[in-house]
Amino acid sequence: MQLKTKILLFVLIIPIVLLAHGVSPEDQAILNNGGLISYILVGAKHMVTGYDHLLFLAGVIFYIKGFRDIITFITAFTIGHSITLIGATYLGIKADEHLIDAVIALSVLYKGFENLGGFEKLFKSSSPNLLMMVFIFGLIHGFGLSTRLQSFDLGQNQFLAKIICFNIGVELGQIVALIPIIFVIIKWQKMKSYDAFYKAVNTYLVIAGIGLFIFQIYSFFNGH
Amino acid sequence: MKKLLLVIIAYCALTSHDMFLKLSTYFLEPNKPAVISLYNGTFEKSDNVISRDRMADVSLQGQGVRTAVDTSQWSGKDSITLLNFTTGTAGTWVAGVSIKPRLIEMKAQAFNDYLVHDGVLEMLQWRKDNNATEKDAIEQYAKHVKTIFQVGDKTSEDYKTIFGYPIEFIPLENPYDLHPGHDLKVQLLWQGKPLPNHLVYIGKSVRDHDHSHDHAHDHAHTHDHNHEGHTHDNVNGLRTDSLGIVKVTIDQTGVYYLRTIHLINSEKEGLTHESNWATLTFEVGDGHTHSHSHHTHDHSIDSEGGIPLYIFGIVSLILVIGLYFWFNKKK
Repeated sequence: MQLKTKILLFVLIIPIVLLAHGVSPEDQAILNNGGLISYILVGAKHMVTGYDHLLFLAGVIFYIKGFRDIITFITAFTIGHSITLIGATYLGIKADEHLIDAVIALSVLYKGFENLGGFEKLFKSSSPNLLMMVFIFGLIHGFGLSTRLQSFDLGQNQFLAKIICFNIGVELGQIVALIPIIFVIIKWQKMKSYDAFYKAVNTYLVIAGIGLFIFQIYSFFNGH
Repeated sequence: MKKLLLVIIAYCALTSHDMFLKLSTYFLEPNKPAVISLYNGTFEKSDNVISRDRMADVSLQGQGVRTAVDTSQWSGKDSITLLNFTTGTAGTWVAGVSIKPRLIEMKAQAFNDYLVHDGVLEMLQWRKDNNATEKDAIEQYAKHVKTIFQVGDKTSEDYKTIFGYPIEFIPLENPYDLHPGHDLKVQLLWQGKPLPNHLVYIGKSVRDHDHSHDHAHDHAHTHDHNHEGHTHDNVNGLRTDSLGIVKVTIDQTGVYYLRTIHLINSEKEGLTHESNWATLTFEVGDGHTHSHSHHTHDHSIDSEGGIPLYIFGIVSLILVIGLYFWFNKKK
């Protein structure tokens, strides 16, 4: 693969995971005017632009082999985040957004660390069961999504339907965002330079996880 | 007596029939779509939508200009009236809505109950003192509500614009220049003149960041998800001084509101009472006037109070490419 092509792949993948994701007045305006479909759209937008969720999933995809694995782990993540997204929103349970985002940042750090063999190198032990960890982190990511959803003025009518539609949007957005990520990773797996790519991206996940964690904790204590 | 007043205040907060203008965030970006919600009920819950024909005035004040808003821009959803609009240039903006007078007939006991519910204690006392508690009422009421929000970084003097409503609150300082630890003096005007010794209720709704969460499930209203991630209000009743001024203690960031009812006996034919209701809402941030993430609930990297998104993206890209070449060379 030519250097130009590699750089192009980087450029393609990075913006996908770095776009903003938050609750904006524009999103609120969409929800106010669009009925249940608007919840699907905003849910999808939130996931497509949710860099922390996607960084974690990119880390998961790096580790696993084959399409069947991808389906299994993505399903575990989806079940996990659907449970907390729907449950916590319906019950009105939420956490401080900075703190939950800080924990999500740690999940990014965790995945990069694990992919780089951190458990074996540092703790001389094998890493925890990945499927279980993906499910647990799915629960945490879902709680973060729920906290974000609860920041919207949802109104009282069709409350459960709105949550479910937002969740459907999240799943659709996840599929759309993951396709290019999976494509890039699978393509690169056949290249000689995959080892360097693997290490570079997972080292980046560790750095990004630490950076995001510090940013969220700093923001929590400084009121941003 | 103080305990009774506190009980009444708490009851008022949950069951009154006020009107408020609210935003999901009071810190907006210039020239972006936004929504103002008109709640008719309590600060937390709207009971019904207000039809356009009831609106005597809908105005936006910014950049020294007051603009009448076309009420066709209003829509209703889930008992909340919504105004979709596009923000203007940077500055402090005021939105105001004045509702045309309407009549309501009430049996004596229902009227007494309403006076308790809505905290109109002077009239309740007057009825007691004048043996009028058994008299039915025909009241003409009108509501006049305002909200002050900040667009972009630059504050402006529009916050103190007098809209000319029968009754209205005028802040004497710009709320968006304040941060917790400062008091805000607000003057109450009745027919354009200061209204002294008048009862004003002040409430606040604090972001979860500052408080543990106290969900609306705790209210008399069950399962109210119609909140914005706030803890419930602490409502205080204060009287205006001789200049019609009340001092709002700003001790936390969050959304603050003031509400009052001016109710008088009426000599007009067919009426026993006339009332005018006023509310004012605004948000106090951490002292910075920029539209940062605390207010938009957007704690992601793109927040204007944090690292700009494009910087994060560029740094990430450089980092990944740099690491790639480094690991490739190391091989």
